[in-house]
Amino acid sequence: MALSKNRLVVSCPTEEQNLIKELVALSTTEQIRKIRELPVSFEEKKHVRTQAMAFKSSGQSHHFSSLRDFSQNMSLLIRRFGYSIKSVSQSLQLWRGIMKEIGGKFGSSVLNYFVLLKWLLLFNIFSFLVNFGFITIPLLVSDLSPNVSPNVSFRGLELLTGAGYFNYTVMYYGSYSNETFRGLVDYDMQLAYFFTISVYMVLCGLVLIFSMASSFKKNYALADAASNSAWQLLCSWDFSITNEKAVNQRKNNLRIQLKESLSEKAHRERQTTSEQLKQYGIYFGSWLLSTGLAVGCGASVFYLCQYEDEQAEDTETWSALKEAETLLVPFVVSLMNMVIPLFFSLFNKFEQYSSQRKQIYALLFRNVLLRISILGVLCYYWMNTVPQKFTCWEPMVGQALYRLVIVDFIFLMLGSLFGEFLSNVIGTKIQPRLGVPEFDVARNVLEIIYAQTLAWIGIYFSPLLPVIQILKFFILFYLKKVSLTHNCQPPRRSGRAAQMKTIFIFLLFIPFFAGALSIVAYTAWSLTPSEHCGPFRGLNNTFSVIGEWIDDVNKLSSTQWVVWIYQNVIRSEIFYFLITLIILVLIYIFWQLIQGRKELIVLLRKQIVNEGKDKSFLLEKLQNLQKSCPEVNKKQKKRTTHTSRRSAERSSGSQSNSNAVVQVLLARQQQEEEERRNASGVSVPSDISTSDAMMQAMLARQKAERQDENAYEATDGHPPPLDAVAQSLAARQRAEETDGYWSTTHFNRSNPVYSSIIQVRQSAERDREDDSHDATSPVSSAMIQVMQARQKAEEEERNQRIYPPGQNAASPGSSALIQAMLARQQAQNEYDDGY
Amino acid sequence: MGTTASQLAKDSLSEYQELTFLTKQEILLAHRRFTELLDRDERNHPNPRVPMEVILTLPELKSNPFKTRICQVFSTSEDKDGSLTFEDFLDLLSAFSDSATLEIKSHYAFRIFDFDDDGTLDYGDLEKLVNCLTGETEDTRLTSEEMRQLISNILDESDIDKDGTVNLSEFQHVISRSPDFVSSFKIVL
Repeated sequence: MALSKNRLVVSCPTEEQNLIKELVALSTTEQIRKIRELPVSFEEKKHVRTQAMAFKSSGQSHHFSSLRDFSQNMSLLIRRFGYSIKSVSQSLQLWRGIMKEIGGKFGSSVLNYFVLLKWLLLFNIFSFLVNFGFITIPLLVSDLSPNVSPNVSFRGLELLTGAGYFNYTVMYYGSYSNETFRGLVDYDMQLAYFFTISVYMVLCGLVLIFSMASSFKKNYALADAASNSAWQLLCSWDFSITNEKAVNQRKNNLRIQLKESLSEKAHRERQTTSEQLKQYGIYFGSWLLSTGLAVGCGASVFYLCQYEDEQAEDTETWSALKEAETLLVPFVVSLMNMVIPLFFSLFNKFEQYSSQRKQIYALLFRNVLLRISILGVLCYYWMNTVPQKFTCWEPMVGQALYRLVIVDFIFLMLGSLFGEFLSNVIGTKIQPRLGVPEFDVARNVLEIIYAQTLAWIGIYFSPLLPVIQILKFFILFYLKKVSLTHNCQPPRRSGRAAQMKTIFIFLLFIPFFAGALSIVAYTAWSLTPSEHCGPFRGLNNTFSVIGEWIDDVNKLSSTQWVVWIYQNVIRSEIFYFLITLIILVLIYIFWQLIQGRKELIVLLRKQIVNEGKDKSFLLEKLQNLQKSCPEVNKKQKKRTTHTSRRSAERSSGSQSNSNAVVQVLLARQQQEEEERRNASGVSVPSDISTSDAMMQAMLARQKAERQDENAYEATDGHPPPLDAVAQSLAARQRAEETDGYWSTTHFNRSNPVYSSIIQVRQSAERDREDDSHDATSPVSSAMIQVMQARQKAEEEERNQRIYPPGQNAASPGSSALIQAMLARQQAQNEYDDGY
Repeated sequence: MGTTASQLAKDSLSEYQELTFLTKQEILLAHRRFTELLDRDERNHPNPRVPMEVILTLPELKSNPFKTRICQVFSTSEDKDGSLTFEDFLDLLSAFSDSATLEIKSHYAFRIFDFDDDGTLDYGDLEKLVNCLTGETEDTRLTSEEMRQLISNILDESDIDKDGTVNLSEFQHVISRSPDFVSSFKIVL
């Protein structure tokens, strides 16, 4: 499609016919999809569609008309059904209006936080449904819940501590029985518990892996490395911002960022060695400090846990004071999580990273380190000390996690209050210099990832913990939204939202989810379940449930294959070894493929640059020749007025200019044939033979242009006549056949780099299934000639400065020039039409 | 053809659903918003055309720096005055919708940025683009030295064949390496 207005864009009848032929060959759904993706106006699309349908129906016989109608109606119905499902699902999306409002006012980086929050909420809803459905309901139905001890009643404190009354409800692991319910179906609680939790974790892991991989591919592998490049900033202008103030702010920010990117390039060169040393010193110092802080926090939590350990007793009932004391550890942990990141931001202000991206990564890494160390210490305590101390230890761990979740929630709310509301007040009223705070996306995202990790660890010990999490995230969404709209301004630096999203998902997966999964796996594998409570009581470890089940299955002969799979696939080491080996080999193969593709990209880039140089070289030469040819100036002047009018309509003005100048060359060539015969011996005969064909082509093109001019006033001026173009093509092909031998021999003598480039290009074209294939392969050999002409000219210029490169060097090249010009015009015509 | 009766004909609706990227709700909403822009007597025309000034009163377009260019690109009028029929309006929303492909978006983005409509982004186009995005008044513009430097940076990055302009394929190449583009090239009613 020629790149012009919305009007008749399908420029020439053949193009349209080609398109319609293509469309007719597809099925109706594919056809509709392809038409929808045409970048033309609605009228045009309708026109193309009616033509395609008319063509299709006219080309078919009447025999199977009823069947065809039926199938068409069916596909129409299916399509309509698909559309209605799509619109229904869109309207059911949770919080769609709010997200649109936030995106419109604050941009997509802030929106990422809310999208992630919604996503994690969905995880929790799914977990709740699964746990409640498969574990809790059977228990409640069969009425096997343990009795509450008589001297424990509901005190309000349970909501915070999770102990006491809650200990005896289905909230925790301890209340689940290990029996098999006989009813309509034999329902084994042990297996149900084990499989529900493990299947949920595996599904979570798969979803995370897939979304991480797709996000990585979209936003990292194909993305540009330079973070502050001007195009990135310009192209990421957010069109969905509707607020006037926000738009002005964005413009300001963009201007500042553009200026920074300009000055950064200058700044980078001007750092002296002493400054660099100082820089490295600051980096080293702040990293040391942050790691020290993180380790220190971990150690202090460790000692705190030990202290609590000494205080705690393994009795059934605890006094209120003792229960309240258990809140100490979560309180300290959340306090550290809130305060220490402020120190990290402070350090960040002193350091000067070369790019803003590295700054964010460094900050994120330190925060992650802090939280991981605290969580790690806590998990160590839970895995090692708690099982020895308590008889019924899993509910204890569950309670600890419950407390952590609740206190974390309280601190999140407080943090929103202090962080955003107070900063806003300080920024606007007390100290206006600070300004309105920005919404710190990275910190908030990390907070919800941490919260979700707690939930993931806690699912094994407390199956109904997702309920708390759902409430927490629900309230958090509205809280953050209100805080955002009242207190914060849009972020000052735009862009990088998609890459940050990838980083967040990656963070969600690798340290946090993988950590949670490994904790649960370690518990299931190595730790002994408590003996008097829970569904796995009496077993050596949780995983032996499977062993027992397999033994049961073994008794039935019809399911022996399950046993076989278990013995030889899941429990055998050879299987895992083989799989690992195969995967490693595949990774190596793909890696090599990637290296090969990288080299190909470099070569193709060089080729594009070369062709650009060729184009400008040819134009220069033509203009030189045109200047040195006075008698055809008048004709050329007439041409240029027409061409200048046409160039306003055509895609490339230089192309029509060269049309005129090529004619000039033709006249010149006729004059200079004798001189050429004397000047360059070898390349003459083939030149003459090509020039004959070339002249035919030239005449054909002249005719075409004259027709074009006459047709210009009549129609809207687009279709270049087909017959003339076909004639020139045929003429050129004839020329190619005659000098095919010449071109290959000449070609072999030339630079091997070019040959590889040409081969690469031809293979790339073949891969691309270019339908103008037969037009471009004669082009490529013409390209070789042009490149050689250019190389020769450049060498001559370099070697013999005195020798004027005007006439003599130009003349053997001029026929190649004409050929190349034609070829290039052809290629450009079809290239442009293809868009 | 487009209809301005207060109800959209059912087969028009299904045609719009098939040939654009919009869902039924979005089309109906667009129809409602479009008819709100018309005068009373225009509503009975078979295919009314809304002038550009009226279109630009829509809140989604009012503060957009490219509002006039958008109207000009999507307009099918003979006088190139930026006026839109309902079908042009649907084209606009379809290109800016969530489900439009990257090729469509980059194609229309190229045309929007091509201020002089010559098919390539040359120095003048890029200069106008930067001015559009950084502010029009004297104190908010970039200085001419900065502008020159910036545009030469831009051309270094994206002009692969070194002809001094960015054509459609080079632009699409740059866009494909900018993952934020698809999510930011969006207008939703």
